[in-house]
Formats: sequence, structure tokens, C-alpha cells
Amino acid sequence: MKSEEEISRRRGEVSGAVTYEWLTQAEAARFHKDPDNFKPLRASSLVGQQQQRLSDEREGLFSVIDEFNLWRSKPELAEAVAAIKALTAVIQRSEATTMMGLEIDLKKASEALKAWDETSISLSAGCDLFMRYVTRTSALEYEDIVAGKARLIERGEKFGEISLKASPRTNARQTIALLGKDFVQDGSTILTHGCSRVVLALLKLAASNGKHFHVICTEGRPKNSGVEMANQLLSAKIPVSLIIDSAIAYTMEKVDMVLVGADGVVESGGIINMIGTYQAALVAHSMSKPVYVAAESYKFARMYPLDQRDLPLAPCYVHFPGALPESVIAEVSTRDYTPPKYLTLLFTDLGVLTPSAVSDELIQLYL
Amino acid sequence: MGAAMPDLQAAVDDFCTKLRRRQVEGSMDTAKFTALLLRQVISHQRIPPSAQASTLIDAVKSVGLRMIDANRLELAIGNVVRRVLHIIREEDASLETDGVTGINLITDSDDENDGYNIAQSGVSAAAVAAANRSALRAPSLHNLLEWIPSSGATTTVGPTITDPEVRSRSSDKNSRSWKLKHSVIEGVNELLNDIENYHSQVAEQALEHIHQNEVILTQGRSRTLLHFLLEARKKRSFQVFICEGAPRYDGHILAKELAEADLQTTVITDSAVFAMISRVNMVIVGAHAVMANGGVIGPVGLHMVALAARRHAVPFVVLTGLHKLCPLYPHNPHVLLNDMRSPSEILDFGDVSDCLDDTTGGPRLRAVNPAFDYVPPELISLFITDSGGHNPSYLYRLVAEYYSPEDFAL
Repeated sequence: MKSEEEISRRRGEVSGAVTYEWLTQAEAARFHKDPDNFKPLRASSLVGQQQQRLSDEREGLFSVIDEFNLWRSKPELAEAVAAIKALTAVIQRSEATTMMGLEIDLKKASEALKAWDETSISLSAGCDLFMRYVTRTSALEYEDIVAGKARLIERGEKFGEISLKASPRTNARQTIALLGKDFVQDGSTILTHGCSRVVLALLKLAASNGKHFHVICTEGRPKNSGVEMANQLLSAKIPVSLIIDSAIAYTMEKVDMVLVGADGVVESGGIINMIGTYQAALVAHSMSKPVYVAAESYKFARMYPLDQRDLPLAPCYVHFPGALPESVIAEVSTRDYTPPKYLTLLFTDLGVLTPSAVSDELIQLYL
Repeated sequence: MGAAMPDLQAAVDDFCTKLRRRQVEGSMDTAKFTALLLRQVISHQRIPPSAQASTLIDAVKSVGLRMIDANRLELAIGNVVRRVLHIIREEDASLETDGVTGINLITDSDDENDGYNIAQSGVSAAAVAAANRSALRAPSLHNLLEWIPSSGATTTVGPTITDPEVRSRSSDKNSRSWKLKHSVIEGVNELLNDIENYHSQVAEQALEHIHQNEVILTQGRSRTLLHFLLEARKKRSFQVFICEGAPRYDGHILAKELAEADLQTTVITDSAVFAMISRVNMVIVGAHAVMANGGVIGPVGLHMVALAARRHAVPFVVLTGLHKLCPLYPHNPHVLLNDMRSPSEILDFGDVSDCLDDTTGGPRLRAVNPAFDYVPPELISLFITDSGGHNPSYLYRLVAEYYSPEDFAL
């Protein structure tokens, strides 16, 4: 109690007539209008792009989408984190003099990002998460825009480490691998569907801990991501076999557990993942095999799909061999929604969660 | 530490030996002894002026790990150790916020201090409050951006806020460590009280669940179950079927106890569960341990009872105390969390002594006698605990409430 009174008393002081903070704020606003003080964010980007960007900057047209794409091109960086990085850059650029102004700038940028790729769930999840953080932080704790901005930028940077850095303490993927490795039993057979970096990290860690297990990868049509997964596993010296997608039920009796990644984890506790995941989970459920999901918490998305049609369509070119008459309609969506009742547990960097715990996390954040 | 308190070491060794010999068994007794010993550890522990909490945590951990290792199947030991660690962390954090603001008030009123110091301590108070708030919470989306979850959260918080100048000036150094110890011991006492009295709190809820003329089926014998049924008996009359619980035949003892209380009691064989279940209104059982996903470790045969109950859509209710709630997820419960007991409980050696291999002298006949069964959460309808009734899918919330995530892996 005492500490709260103390803090609020100090707050009272700060929000007096003209204070030091107020002056610095005004100072900072002036500073931002000064064109000579513009520093390019990354000196290492391509020259052509740089020039394009600089001209954009002069016109005041900083593109959050370019920024996002630059970050996304880093191999280890997840989409949601790239989005947060891009939004951090927006804060750095913003000339807003109030937190409200900054919020409006950010909101515009995040809307633009989301509109640019409506199908990406982790992109919108990342934007939502960061926006939520900004609204909560700014309103509550910072009257001073400079401090507020600095803190937001610092947090944005730190968030990037979750995906980039190799240290197990901050890296979400490593945390998940550590939590999930015990679920891989010696001598077991694991079915995986699609190509996921988290799943790969988990399996590699389990293998390096001396666990012997066999992985069955599905082919993963139409992008053949399972083949990619199998190659990655083979290079880590993990025994792999490949099956066609339609052999999931045929193979399931040999399987001890199903382990998949996720594009997004939704409010019901279910997941959205590469097409065929629902089917694999259904088969596993009917044969009483556990279905585990490995997903970073920045993939938790604020949506509640009721059925498969509720998802934003993510079409992809599907190659059907042989010439098809024009009248044949091809189903081209590339992901599906797996309801929570078919999932056993989710391994996230927040800990091992039951599907209902995921809903709880999301509700707590957005309530 | 070892030299300073030989009595305590002897007591811990004695307890560990008893655990290994299975002289102390059951979640209630093991939990109680563990809490008593840990309380002793805390009261004997010398607390240095710096890193007070981490000294206590280390002491509790080292003793706790020895007890856990002595019998890994008694999950209650680990639960109590984690609960005590959580109490220490909580008390330390609350003292930290109290302490820092207290000091600030002193420095503010002190005219000799320069302005810099005041400003700095003001900032640190807010920072410490924020840090502690997030340190106490389990890692969540909520604080994902504010606080990167780390195993050393509390220990790193400690030194950063103990600004040496401010701290040395305030003379509450000794009183703070005393306060910490005092409040932690108080917390452990409360925990002990909970462990000793949980069954009466569970039993209080009996009338909400058992109705007139109902038929209850149960398996295994537990103190909670007995209290629960007897409490309901005070106002209602109902019938109880009891599985005998081979090979330990706990059911026989429970049946006797219930019959003495003038309850309509029927003993059935374990294999008759399916035949009787269609007449049953509710299955009520006790548990050995409850896992974080809502799965239950109970007496062998419980899974079969749960499956039979599911087949006939009979509610399957588990009575448990919060000290049985384990923050771990079962990886391979049938093997890792099971105790293979002596085969002599099933087969008398005299009867099968001629089943030996003539050439090697080894057995031709094998007997397996597992002590526990794992019941998956989807078969359980309700948990009745000392904090009320909970759905299996809600248990993770209780885990988050009573344990610190950094203690999950000891």
C-alpha cells in the first residue's frame, strides 16, 4: 500500500504545471522536426534500397512494409517478431510529440502491415501483441514521451532477441525445446506434419540428449514442406521416414505421439497450421495417441474460428498432374484449423499449457 | 551448514531412510514431515545480510532434493518443497517493496542527502515494484514484453535494488532478515495447517454432491474419502459400493469403517465394477497425486473404474488436497510414476515354489504388482479440493497460483 501511495504522490508532482519532463518533451518535439538529425536506421542495407528509403524519408513516406520485409528476410526471425521490429522502427521514426500521437502513428502502421498480408496469422498476432503493450504502457506509466518512447523501443529490441539470440534464457525456441524434450521417449516413433523450426529444435535437442527415436514426416503437399523437414532431420542424424499425406491413418498404429508446429494459436486453444494437421490430429485422437503442439507465444492470435471457412483464405498454387478441364474447381487453401479437443498439450515459451490455458492467457491479455 | 546443526541433519537422514524403507508412506504423512523438516531448516539457517532469500532457497532446495530422491514416487514431497520455495519468494518480494519505500521515506526527510540520491531512489522504488510484480507472476503473454522470463529472476532482482549506500544507512538489516524468516515460517505453518486439515474442508462440501438415496461407488481407502462420506451421512442416507482393491484390500478396511458408521455398505470385487456401474450415480475416489494437466495417480485399478464410469456416463469425482497437486506434466506415467511392489502380495511363494526352472533355478512364473494407475484428465469430471470444486482443465491455474515457475525443475 505504502509504495503505491508513494508512487502516486510522485506522479502528482510530475503532472504539476511546468515540469522538467514537460520541458524535455517540448525539446524533443523540436529536435524531431530538425531534418539534419535524421539517421538512417540500418547502414548495412542495400545501396539502392537505402537511396529509395532516404528519398522516402524526405517525403516523410517511411514504409513499414519494407521494414518488415527486411527483417523477415533474416532466416531465424519469425514473422511476428519481424512485425514487432518493424513497428519499433516506426516508433523510432515517429515525430509525434504525445503518446497519443505515437499510438495513432503505430496504429496506422500496424493496420497497413496487417492489410498488406491479410492471410498471415502470426503477422497480425505480432502487431496485436505489440499494440496491446503500447496502449497499456503509455497510458499507465509514462507521462514523458521521451522516456516512454525509449522504453517501447528497448522492449521491441528485446523482443527480437526472443527469436534471434542463441542464449536459452531469452530464445523462445530453445525454451520450448527444453520444456518439450522430456516428452520424447526413448525408442518412440513421432509423426510430424509440415516443416516447423520449433519442432526441429525440439527434436534436435532430444536427440543430442541421447534419446533414440524415429521420426515420420509427411510429404506435406502442396509445398512439400515435409521433405524439407526430413532433410533437416537427416542432417541432424535423426532417423526419418517419409510418407505421403494420405498414409497418416495407415501409419498411425506405429506412432507414439504426433508433434506439430503452428502458424497461429487461437483463442479457443486450437491451432491453425498447414493443411492436413486437422486430419492428422483426428486420426491420432481416434487412436488415442497424444497430439503435441510446439509454438512460440507470439503466435497466440486474437481470433476464434468456428469452422474451417472462418479462416482467412491462404491460397496456393496446387499442381494436379494431368490436364484438368476448366470446369473442375481445385481446392487451394493451404492451412486448416484444429479444434482444441484434439490437442493434448501445447509447448510454449510460457510453459507447457493445456489448450484451455491458452484461452486464459489470451483473455488475460486482451480483457 | 552441516556442522552448525547436527540434529537437523540427523532428522533429515532419518526421514530419508524411512522413505527408502517405505516406513513413511502416503501423501499426507510425507507432506507433513517434509513441511516440518523444512520449517526446521529455515529456522536454523543463518541469513547473511545480502542475498537473504537466495540463501534460504538454496538451503531448502538442498535438503528438499535429498528427500525427493529418497522416494521419487511420493510426489507430495516435491510439492511441499516447491510450495515452501514459493512462500520464500513471495515473502521476499513483499518485503522488498515494503523495505524500499520505507527507506525512501527516510532519505526524503533527511536534509543531508543530495538531490541526486532522492531522485534515484524514487526511480528504483517504482522499478522494483514493477519487477517484483512481474517476478511473482508466472510467465504469460501479459508480461512477455515487460519481463523476459529467466530462471535467475529473483536472484538478479536482489542485488540490483540493494543499493549499498541506501541500505547501509538504514539500520533495519537484521530486522529485515528476521522479518523474512518470521514471515516465511508463518507461511509454512499455514501450509502445515492446510495439510493437516484439508480433509475436513473437503468434507464440508459433501452435502453439495451426495443426495438422498444415491448410490456411490468408490475404490481404495483414503482419509479424505472417509470424512467426506461420513459428513454426508450426517444428513443423508445413501448406499456405497466399495471395490475391495486387490491385492492390498484397502476396501475391506474402508467398508468396515463405513459400516460402523451405519452406512449401507456393499463390498464388490474389483472385476465386478462394470457389472455394478449402471446402478451407480457417482464414483468418488481419493488420489495419490494430481498432475498439472489434471491427470490423477491413484490406486491400481482406478483407470478401469474411470473407463467404466465414462461408458455409462457416471460422474467421476476425485477428492484431493492441494498438497497433492504436482506442477509437473506426466511424460510416461505408467512406467515413471509407478511402484512395482512385492509379488508376494499376489502369489504366496509356497504355492508357486514348484514353478522354478529346474536347470537355472530362476522363475518360470512372473508376477507384476504395480501400485498405481494413471487416469487421464479426460475421464475425470470434477476435482473437489480444499479450495473448492475444479474442472480438470482448471488445474493449471491452481498450479500457477501456488508454485513459482522457476521451481518446477528443482
